Amino acid sequence: MSINSPNPMIGSERSGKNDPDPSDDVLLERVRGKNQQAMADVFDRYGGLVYSVALRVLKDPGHAEDVMQEIFFQLWSQPDAFVRGRGSLCGWLMVVARNRAIDTFRRRKPTDSPDDVVLLSNTNLASETERNVLMGKVRDVLKNLPSEQQKSLELAYFEGMTHSEIAEQTGDPLGTVKTRIRQALIGLRKALAA
Amino acid sequence: MIGNEHISQEDLMLHTLQALSEEESAAVRTHLAQCALCRDQVAELLGDGALVGLSVSQHPVPGGARQRFLDKIAADVLITKQATKQGARGQVLPFPRKTWIPWAMAAALAVVALSLGVENNALNKELRHVTIQATNLAAESARARHVIDVLTSHSAQRVLLTTGKKAAEPTGRVIYLENSGSLVFQANNLKLLASDKTYELWVIPVSGKPIPAGLFRPDAAGDASVVMPALPKGVPAKAFGVTVEKAAGSDSPTAPIIISGATAPSVGE
Repeated sequence: MSINSPNPMIGSERSGKNDPDPSDDVLLERVRGKNQQAMADVFDRYGGLVYSVALRVLKDPGHAEDVMQEIFFQLWSQPDAFVRGRGSLCGWLMVVARNRAIDTFRRRKPTDSPDDVVLLSNTNLASETERNVLMGKVRDVLKNLPSEQQKSLELAYFEGMTHSEIAEQTGDPLGTVKTRIRQALIGLRKALAA
Repeated sequence: MIGNEHISQEDLMLHTLQALSEEESAAVRTHLAQCALCRDQVAELLGDGALVGLSVSQHPVPGGARQRFLDKIAADVLITKQATKQGARGQVLPFPRKTWIPWAMAAALAVVALSLGVENNALNKELRHVTIQATNLAAESARARHVIDVLTSHSAQRVLLTTGKKAAEPTGRVIYLENSGSLVFQANNLKLLASDKTYELWVIPVSGKPIPAGLFRPDAAGDASVVMPALPKGVPAKAFGVTVEKAAGSDSPTAPIIISGATAPSVGE
């Protein structure tokens, strides 16, 4: 995967030189030194995103907060679980939040260690403006996908259903379910590359 | 499979979404452990998944969640410091430098040479002792963190035991250690608040203004906790209280006090 990926979550790294706020890398370096203010800054930057994903999956503010607290405390106590160069902190947090929320929803032990979450290359989405622009684009793309693709992706991503469960619920063949989810993700990737 | 070797992109995608059965996922994991090409594809697909996560409607974190998190990491720092301090007690301090006249140095060297074997044994014993101590401290630290997790988790069940079937009244219990400024607070049956409001805990010192001791919001069952908020050390308290404040909290309590309790008077008072 090159840094020219159409996926902005794994695109080129921002220099951060002229940013009023420190980059994610700078904050994480401070977190490794047990700087509580830096950890508070990371929480302020991404707490809402992580909580929102967990809330979307769990639909319960208390459980969503538990997931959020657990993820940020894990980042605090084991900051090396996120390794620079293996993806953006924002993307990593999104994946870990979604997976941990699904695990909580299914009332099972975490299936994947955060160490196993590897996104290629770097993206710095430390800027709220950059995140908001990207969020707007992603929402537009997903909204314009064919409804059956939207439905399949939503059931898999936010409801945590297996492809067999989705096929059972929608009455579609397994192969069709797989194809729809794949087409949805490819459509998202292509649209963001355009 | 592609060419009877690699996992299909569709199955890798389902794997990243945890949408395969357990057996299927196990087979994919086994393959990924040996295949860098498929691992790269998984990394790319995880990036796509992260994008989907960005599509959700954004909600601010619950009131008090930030403070609860800061309290938690402050408690972690405290535990680590205490463990380090206790661990340091086992360290061997260097001898102060002294000046010896040449003949005394020679004699001392001879003595040192003779005693090296003995000292080596002593150091080995010391090392074993420190290792055991470090292991014990790590276990204590893990247990302390576990206690904090139990106290602060929204998933934990909190049951108030009473003598009869009374209507549930808001209650709170504070455990306070003034020397170290350590405090643990648990509340039950609190009313839920509007999103622009929060509960705030106060330490009422024997003298001086009330000291804010943490913001919190109860869960759906009305339960809440504050664990190890940042408090000054050595402040004797005469009471504790809880008020309702604006979401960002307040520097001084706003009436009315929802629940409060005075400390027990010292013997002889």
